Amino acid sequence: MAQTTVSAAERRGGFKCHYARQVSWQAPAALVALSVVMSVASPYFLTTDNLLNIAVAAAVVAVLAVGMTFVISGGGIDLSVGSVMAACGVVGATLVSEGVPGWIAILAMLVVGCVSGAFNGALISTLNIPPFIVTLGTLSLTRGIALLLADGKAVYGLDWTFKFLGQGHLAGIPVPAVFLLAVAIAGHVVLKHTRFGLRTLSLGDNEMSTRVTGCNVWRQKVALYTITGACAALAAVLFDGRINAGDPTAGVMYELQAISAVVIGGTALAGGRGTVWGSVLGALIIGVLQNGLNLLAVPSFYQYVAIGTILILAVSGEAIWKRS
Amino acid sequence: MRGSLSAALALAAISSCLSVVGARGAEGDVAVIMKTLSNPYWGAMGAGVEEAAKKASVKYSIQDAPNESDLAAQLDSCQNLLTRGPKVLIAAAITPVNLLPCFKDANAKGIPVIDLDNQLDPKTTEAEGVKIAFAIGSNNRDLGEKAAEYLASKTTTGKVLIIEGIAGNPAGTARRDGFREKLAQIAPKMSVVAVLPGDWDRLKAANIANDTLQTTPDLVAIYAANDTMALGAVEALNTAGRKANVIVIGTDGNTDAVKAVKAGALDATVAQMPFLVGSQAVEQALKGGQVPGGKIVVPTLLLTKSVLDQNTDPLIQYLR
Repeated sequence: MAQTTVSAAERRGGFKCHYARQVSWQAPAALVALSVVMSVASPYFLTTDNLLNIAVAAAVVAVLAVGMTFVISGGGIDLSVGSVMAACGVVGATLVSEGVPGWIAILAMLVVGCVSGAFNGALISTLNIPPFIVTLGTLSLTRGIALLLADGKAVYGLDWTFKFLGQGHLAGIPVPAVFLLAVAIAGHVVLKHTRFGLRTLSLGDNEMSTRVTGCNVWRQKVALYTITGACAALAAVLFDGRINAGDPTAGVMYELQAISAVVIGGTALAGGRGTVWGSVLGALIIGVLQNGLNLLAVPSFYQYVAIGTILILAVSGEAIWKRS
Repeated sequence: MRGSLSAALALAAISSCLSVVGARGAEGDVAVIMKTLSNPYWGAMGAGVEEAAKKASVKYSIQDAPNESDLAAQLDSCQNLLTRGPKVLIAAAITPVNLLPCFKDANAKGIPVIDLDNQLDPKTTEAEGVKIAFAIGSNNRDLGEKAAEYLASKTTTGKVLIIEGIAGNPAGTARRDGFREKLAQIAPKMSVVAVLPGDWDRLKAANIANDTLQTTPDLVAIYAANDTMALGAVEALNTAGRKANVIVIGTDGNTDAVKAVKAGALDATVAQMPFLVGSQAVEQALKGGQVPGGKIVVPTLLLTKSVLDQNTDPLIQYLR
């Protein structure tokens, strides 16, 4: 539970004002700083094509991060999103290979994602076991299910719906970037401008007092994890579209990338503070970093060192600034 | 607190029961420990082991690790297999050293140990006092070299991208070095613009291909240390509309890659014969006796559309 101080102005404006006002400069500052460094280091960085490439490359993790923002803002965590993404991807690809039209396959993937999310939420809410442990278990469970469904092999060949979503262009902009924008806008509106979103932030801030205000905490938690599951399904749609296959071994460690993106974006791990745009920026920061390292052809071992160092710097930025 | 603790225990009990029900393996004379069966390459090797064991009417049990990086879990699985008193232990260790404690125990029990797919380093194994009956596998450097020869046969100038596996992985390193050194030898005018780690991940390889096209729009070829990454790179090239200008070569020759080569989507892949490695390992293990040089080298095969269409090479039947 995070302790937050409420200013006099916020108290006048009420509950809504306080949570809607949260802004974190950490992510935008880090993104700008990193981009400046990369454009100086490589002449290929600051071209339209490359920047769009970064958005496309980061889209899958960014969509996962949008869902993760809800869960973390609500005081929980979901480690199973990578595996759920793989399972949804396998389901979608298998359906398409059996002749099912693309959009129905996508609906099925959403159902699978929501069900697995709701399962997580119900377990966590009902049994009162720490989310870390439960989703660690479903991480394994869902991975196993994905592998069993696909018999360990990737399922190839998706139809034009997926191909359009993963590889198409809308007015010159790659569809994955547009898709990400749509998901981010929807996420932001729900988190900051609906009662549901405000209850979420309040839940992460102080669960006891949220319960006392009459919020059905059980239902709220289940809903949060369902959102994460749905975002995992959407990420799977993008993944399958880009790769033209449903891969049961996909998404390993993606949950860690999503969590990194969320934390870099300024959402507190303890809950109570969160912004969807921050998480998207966080994912873009990771994307810029990875892209820069590729453009500069940095040798493999150094890449791991660089990524870790810069992530730590990006996250400590705001803490150091506040202290000074 | 008590309520949630017992609930957690119940959950753990149920899931471990379920995992046992789903797990393979019965009491076996031939014990096989693989890296992970979720990679089609290792799956094919497992299939080869099963077929050879069935032919010889010998019982077998196969265990694997949950993923290609869980060293401790693989060691545990290995020890579990040993407790059943197998006749022979065939193992594909994730690293050259993580299974050595298990092999020592096997030596002590008089159970012959076979190095599946050349995962061990002979110097380290000897230094630890571990005896290996023989090692069987294909030569990873050879895989890289065959790919370089194919590329040189198509073109002798231009820029090349190498996508390697997880940095530091011995198989990936051997393939990368084999490719690079052979290419420098037979096509010195070609230049390698970058060697980037694809981590055996399809999406990462696609992103690497995309990014490299930014710096090198006139890229001529991509060599990937396995098929999963090669196919990821192919999709990225397709999206960018650049596939026609770039030759993509993979490694492994798994089912997806074979289909892709036949369809013309992937230019070539250097196939290992995991099925053959698995079945020959079991055959030789059951035969017993000395193996000349302590090594069996299983051939590899360069697969191109013409090779697959002609279908005359006897090794093709072992593709899975």
